[in-house]
Amino acid sequence: MNAIPIPGTQRSITPAGGIVWGVLVLLTVMSAIVRPGLFVDQVIGGLVYGLVLVLIALGLSIVLGLLGIVNFAHGALFMLGAYFTFQLMEVWGVSFWVALIVAPLGVGLVGVAIERGVLRHLYDKNPLNGLLATFGIALMLGEATRAIWGGTPRSVVAPQILSMSFDLGVTTVSRIRLFTVAVAVVVIAAVYLLIERTDFGLSVRAGVLDREMAEFLGVNMNVRFISMFVLGAAIAGLGGVLRGAAVGMDVGMANQFIILAFVVVVVGGIGSLFGSVVAGLLIGGASYLTPLYLSTLAEVTTLEFINIPGIGGLVPYLVMIVVLLARPRGLFGQEGFLE
Amino acid sequence: MSDESATNRTGEGLVSGLPLGALNRYKVPIGSVLLVILLRPLVSMEFLLGYGSVANTILIWMLFAASFNLLLGYTGLLSFGHAMFLGIGAYVTAIGLSRFSSSFVLSAVVALALAGVAAYLIGRITVQKGEIYFAMLTLAFGTTAHFIANYNPAGLTGGTTGIAGGAVPAWIETERGLKYVNLGGFQFDWYWLVAAAVLVGLVVLWQIVRSPFGRTLIAIRENKELARAMGINTYRYKVWAFTLSGVVAAYAGTILEINEQGATLSLLTVETSGDVILMTVLGGANYFFGPVAGAFVWLFAEDYLTDFEMLVLPLKEVPIVSLELAGVLAYWQFFLGLLFVIAVLIAPREGIWGLLRDSIETLYDRLRTGEEDV
Repeated sequence: MNAIPIPGTQRSITPAGGIVWGVLVLLTVMSAIVRPGLFVDQVIGGLVYGLVLVLIALGLSIVLGLLGIVNFAHGALFMLGAYFTFQLMEVWGVSFWVALIVAPLGVGLVGVAIERGVLRHLYDKNPLNGLLATFGIALMLGEATRAIWGGTPRSVVAPQILSMSFDLGVTTVSRIRLFTVAVAVVVIAAVYLLIERTDFGLSVRAGVLDREMAEFLGVNMNVRFISMFVLGAAIAGLGGVLRGAAVGMDVGMANQFIILAFVVVVVGGIGSLFGSVVAGLLIGGASYLTPLYLSTLAEVTTLEFINIPGIGGLVPYLVMIVVLLARPRGLFGQEGFLE
Repeated sequence: MSDESATNRTGEGLVSGLPLGALNRYKVPIGSVLLVILLRPLVSMEFLLGYGSVANTILIWMLFAASFNLLLGYTGLLSFGHAMFLGIGAYVTAIGLSRFSSSFVLSAVVALALAGVAAYLIGRITVQKGEIYFAMLTLAFGTTAHFIANYNPAGLTGGTTGIAGGAVPAWIETERGLKYVNLGGFQFDWYWLVAAAVLVGLVVLWQIVRSPFGRTLIAIRENKELARAMGINTYRYKVWAFTLSGVVAAYAGTILEINEQGATLSLLTVETSGDVILMTVLGGANYFFGPVAGAFVWLFAEDYLTDFEMLVLPLKEVPIVSLELAGVLAYWQFFLGLLFVIAVLIAPREGIWGLLRDSIETLYDRLRTGEEDV
């Protein structure tokens, strides 16, 4: 939704920036040499994780930019995508390929219900109300999921063709991960084309900039609001299908991923889809590579205390704190948006 | 604030001549005293919970929610990391008691000081960001606190198990699961110390709210630009509101530490921060007693509804309709979530407490006008 081009800024690299980049490159090279297999594993793991985050963050960013509502229930929609897959494949015995289409559509329907039932009443209100209402919806969807599918983790059996591994020489990668990457890239490209290259996307962008004026010019904004909300919900659902098929599902995933998706949106800059993609990949990569870098560093320097277990889970928040303190609007945020 | 204006309206309507002005003025402390005295007998009633020990937890959570409301209700800041301060209070006290064998008072003072410093520093870099950014940054700091406690630096915080052993001061005696306070040969029930401590906390919060400082916070919440134009340094006021709120939350944490005989990691989770938001909004962020009511409803529902098995209407002795509800009510959070969403849609700042006040006021007005007709 980055309609206004950011004026290109020519920057020279500062000494401090140069040192940081140098250290990062050095660590990357070092890790790649010391443990090449693990390095490739972590890079792909970070890519897959980051792209799933991007899929959730896209819908979040669209809803935030268009409707001005911080949708806390978006993580629950992601979780529903995973549980719908379970319902379709394990209970009703439908094939994965059908679930890949049907589950996101089902999540989209839930999205319609949420938009028409609750969010419609909150447009143009204090953004905190939207955050609080969707927080309640997230709680309800979480409890409903627990009631229907139980609190224990579930998993589905991925189809034969995706469960095999792919040999990369130094390590093997399961095909479902590569499939996730491919689907996510296609979806992200499609969303970009829809918003930047179609008349529909043009009218949506017009609505973001000035809703009243767009309506004066005869654009039915309500239809666009609903369809963009459904699109965002369905993309989150699709992310849920892919995640559920790859690593299974549990009731905690809604909270875990919505918070990370918020972090991605905030780091990327609220209102910028491109920023969300970059931030998702950055955070996915950082979460997977930081533990590897630290353990490599600990091994090379024989300083064991550097190797902090579980640091990967904290990295997204550290990245966010640093980015927001250095660039208060995020990496690609627009001026004056929700401030 | 609407709280005050509404009470003045009904207060003046009462019989004049009696010292109702003072009663009205000290409504919050009087209400707090009644609350801490009546809460345990109330929940111990046979048809409610039937046991009193949960009243301790409810009281502490009430104070925690009230401290949170200094931010959400009075300053208009939505923090997603308030559990951090409750956790600091509990953890630092537990560390002082179990790892350094220091006295409870010293540990608690250190805990409050640390929470204050942490809140001040975090407040300085977060309060001036936009609403969404503030929520996300506090969330990030809360998660960082959780990570540190889980990481167990120098064996201080005990990792996932938290701090369990030796974290109770010597003057607490436990007998068959019930705690007693033993001070200089004088023994009384632990509940009364909790009640006194929570009462002190509530009165402190009330003093903050009704002071010029508190009034300024409301001015900032209502109109930030106007407040700034009038010469109020909104940034400083917000930072201090965040600090005070954090210190009172840590104070609640120190009491909770004795009550739970240690500090658990679950205190620092995002869910704890989320629960306090739910309680506050459900109860009514506009009122001093709103979050207190919200905490009561939330914790009471948790205990009452999960034990609930069969709904028999109209009476147990005369079963006309009986419903098996155990299966549904195990998911009580769903229904409270529904209530919460409805509350946000209809009146986001009123909550249960606002609803209660409205209905009592309507009832009172109706009764009074009825009398006048006769």
